Amino acid sequence: MPIPSQTQPRELVGRSPGQLMWRRFKRDRAGVVSAYVVAFFFLVALAAPLISAAYGKSPTATYGLDEGGLLNEFGYPVAPNGGISGRFWFGLEPTMGRDVLTQLVYGIRTSLLIAAAATVLCVLTGVLVGVTAGYLGGRTDYFLGRFIDLLLAFPAQLSFIAFTPVVYSLFVSPEKQTPTYLRVITLILVLWALGWMGLARLLRGQVLSLREREFVEAARVTGASPWRIITKELLPNLWTPILVQSTLMLPTLVTAEAGLSFIGVGIIEPTPDWGRMFAAGAAYYESDITYIFFPGLAMIIFVVAFNLLGDSVRDAFDPRTKR
Amino acid sequence: MSPTSRFRKDRARLTTVALAAGAVVLSACSSGGGGGGDGGKSQGPGEDKTTSANYSIGTKADSTGPAPEVPGAKKGGTVGVLQRDAFNHLDPGQIYYIDVLTNQLLYNRTLTSYKIDDKGRVKVVGDLATDAGTASDGGKTWTFTLKDGLKFEDGSPITAKDVRWGIERLYASYQSDGPLYIPQWLSGDGNDFRKALPDGPYDGKHLPPSVLDTPDDKTIVFHFRQPHADAPFATAMPNVAPVKAEKDTKQKYDNAPFSSGPYKVGDYKVGKSLTLVRNEHWDAKTDPIRHQYADKFDISFGHQYADSTRRFLADQGSDKNTLSFSNAVAPEMTEKVLNQPDTKARRLLEVQPYVDYISFNTDRLKDVRVRKALALAMPNGQILQQNGGATAGVIATNFLSPAMDGYRPSDPFGKKAKPAGDPEKAKELLKEAGKLGQEIVYAYANTDVQQKVSVVVTQALERAGFKVQKKEVDSNTWRTAIADVKNKFDIYRTSWGADWPVSSTVVPPLYDGRQIADGAQNYGHLDNPEVNADIDRITAIPDVKRAAPEWQKLADRILTDDVPGVPVFYNRQFSLWGSGLGGIKYHPVYGSVDPTGVYVK
Repeated sequence: MPIPSQTQPRELVGRSPGQLMWRRFKRDRAGVVSAYVVAFFFLVALAAPLISAAYGKSPTATYGLDEGGLLNEFGYPVAPNGGISGRFWFGLEPTMGRDVLTQLVYGIRTSLLIAAAATVLCVLTGVLVGVTAGYLGGRTDYFLGRFIDLLLAFPAQLSFIAFTPVVYSLFVSPEKQTPTYLRVITLILVLWALGWMGLARLLRGQVLSLREREFVEAARVTGASPWRIITKELLPNLWTPILVQSTLMLPTLVTAEAGLSFIGVGIIEPTPDWGRMFAAGAAYYESDITYIFFPGLAMIIFVVAFNLLGDSVRDAFDPRTKR
Repeated sequence: MSPTSRFRKDRARLTTVALAAGAVVLSACSSGGGGGGDGGKSQGPGEDKTTSANYSIGTKADSTGPAPEVPGAKKGGTVGVLQRDAFNHLDPGQIYYIDVLTNQLLYNRTLTSYKIDDKGRVKVVGDLATDAGTASDGGKTWTFTLKDGLKFEDGSPITAKDVRWGIERLYASYQSDGPLYIPQWLSGDGNDFRKALPDGPYDGKHLPPSVLDTPDDKTIVFHFRQPHADAPFATAMPNVAPVKAEKDTKQKYDNAPFSSGPYKVGDYKVGKSLTLVRNEHWDAKTDPIRHQYADKFDISFGHQYADSTRRFLADQGSDKNTLSFSNAVAPEMTEKVLNQPDTKARRLLEVQPYVDYISFNTDRLKDVRVRKALALAMPNGQILQQNGGATAGVIATNFLSPAMDGYRPSDPFGKKAKPAGDPEKAKELLKEAGKLGQEIVYAYANTDVQQKVSVVVTQALERAGFKVQKKEVDSNTWRTAIADVKNKFDIYRTSWGADWPVSSTVVPPLYDGRQIADGAQNYGHLDNPEVNADIDRITAIPDVKRAAPEWQKLADRILTDDVPGVPVFYNRQFSLWGSGLGGIKYHPVYGSVDPTGVYVK
């Protein structure tokens, strides 16, 4: 007796690797939370003027100097906990008396803008050089490899310290002040010039192993152009390292930019800067530890969230490595 | 004493910012709040002692040893000394900066020296000499007689020949870092004096007796080219000291000076540490200012202000017997120090002879009304706050420091009443001059403190109707950049300290138009013939006491009429030391901690 089928076979749906990755990513709670946190930071950076307008404070106004009773005679906030009050939510900056919240929001804006721009440039250059070197091989690979070695040997911080005054004196009249946009562009360029090599190296290795695989062979036999092979055959297989590397690169560049400001060669006063807040906080912590609390907390959350996001993206692309 | 750089912070080392921040944030969770309280008026810094300090020339009795006993003093023990910078020189001929000036008091005796009583009054007395010198020939000739029983560290007697050798070696070209008053007064200005004795005394040549004479072993006679009423002050500089010819190893003398004072060099590791031990041949009966209570001084270098302050505050173990000559309390720890009651008896807060200015480049800012507007608008109080606030200085109202003889608290720009500047009045003045929106190129050294100062200065000047172009200059090249006569800057911070408490070491170098040169200190490039003539007139006054108020008058005239700059604040020394030490006092001439009467309790 024929047995009636209980269920219809489920319809099979074809999904691209991208869709699979997205589904896996959405199931990773830590990844999703990190993504929201990271998005929040970018939102804060972009909306800094709106936040400051809604909150009614300017990041550069020296409230503590202009009004009496906010800072004591040593320049520290009179109110406890670094001057936190209904008016100054994150407190006041010692000696200058500026509002910490707007300073931080604008500081994040400066740092993220610079780091994001530098990351995009670094990733583009890294992909271009890495894939070219790996795919073409031979002499091209050799020379590009040595060029990368050369740049890797450069001490990045020192080069920056030595390089910026030269740029400024080239482009700025000795009687005019160096415009902030020039400082920003110089910072981005320097972070870019000495930041793309790691990714290029990594991709070159990946491409070297990929280009001997059968599907590339097949493509080549059917007469595909190198451009087509790179974009359609190789790149889709490289998204994992590229995404992971760039999610790791961005927080590194944020800290590098902060580091440059910390030693006084990055963005200078009065442009608010995240890194300089640390430098100041390190000096003030004996008398006013609250001042470094919010910038520090924000930096930790940001770096941790971005790293977790990078992990989740990698896991989503490559479930075999799932913890 | 040459431009000071007390506030130049060492460039902080790059750390992994996120990690460092993390550590601090974690500790923040536990300890919470920052600076609170009512501003700490009650335990605030000491009273403003900006009255005219009391300086005088001592008598023969004042110059006779031994120095009055310090009450409660005991012999024995080791005194530790923490210093930030390694000593650049031990050779008395090369010494000029606050830390080494203080250090040489322990092993180097000079013709005259400063005797400081317990009220902080200063007398210039004979140290090697029996008195502060005798003038003749209208102040051109000065005669000093040495005391009996003076000995070097090997027991050999100190004679007038040794003092002459000490002065003559200043003519050698390697002697470049010390003050050059005496050789210049004897043999010519600038570097011309070196022609009188090109290689110093080293190849057997000496200055003729018509310039520097030693008729016998006890007498030394200076024949200056011009009258110099303040010669007793100049002979108190560390390089007017005896150097034994056989022991003079030229450049190597810097590491092994031959002692004439109560201590001698025991062990010296250049750049790391210096141990001074008792000099058995020093005789207290000959010395009116120094004591020999402690057995030795252990001086070590590389202690940042925060580090030394933390150790003095903790006051543990051997740090109890530790002091610092010139390390100040770190500005960010000021409140902590003032709020810890046990520091009351072991700290001092005194005005130093150093003044911070903002100089105006009169070559570029030709309209005096613009300069006046700048001076009116300058936010002295806010600048001082960025430099450390009340314990780092006192708002300056005129060019001369309260540590100068004859100081008067004149205040032509109303800085005491309006420490944040007077933008309205400045704006009016600018309008009157038709220079509203005048562009000002403001140069500053790129350090964290000066960056913050630049913010308050820019803000204040823009409120007064200026337009400011800020130029940051690398802090290593800063001094050369602003000392360049053809610099392209309008205003910049400068500082100056007097070599001795007479304004002849302030007004002429800063405002004499004939002294404008690259690297010289007339940073405002003021060249007013009337001022120059007045400088000559006052220099010729034979009595220092009578000249003092004249200098103040001239300085005030320059500030009100010529405005080549504006004084910002008078520096203060805020020192702390361990609880196991006694007999510490302030040295008002050097602006540091005087170690000559220190004992271990």
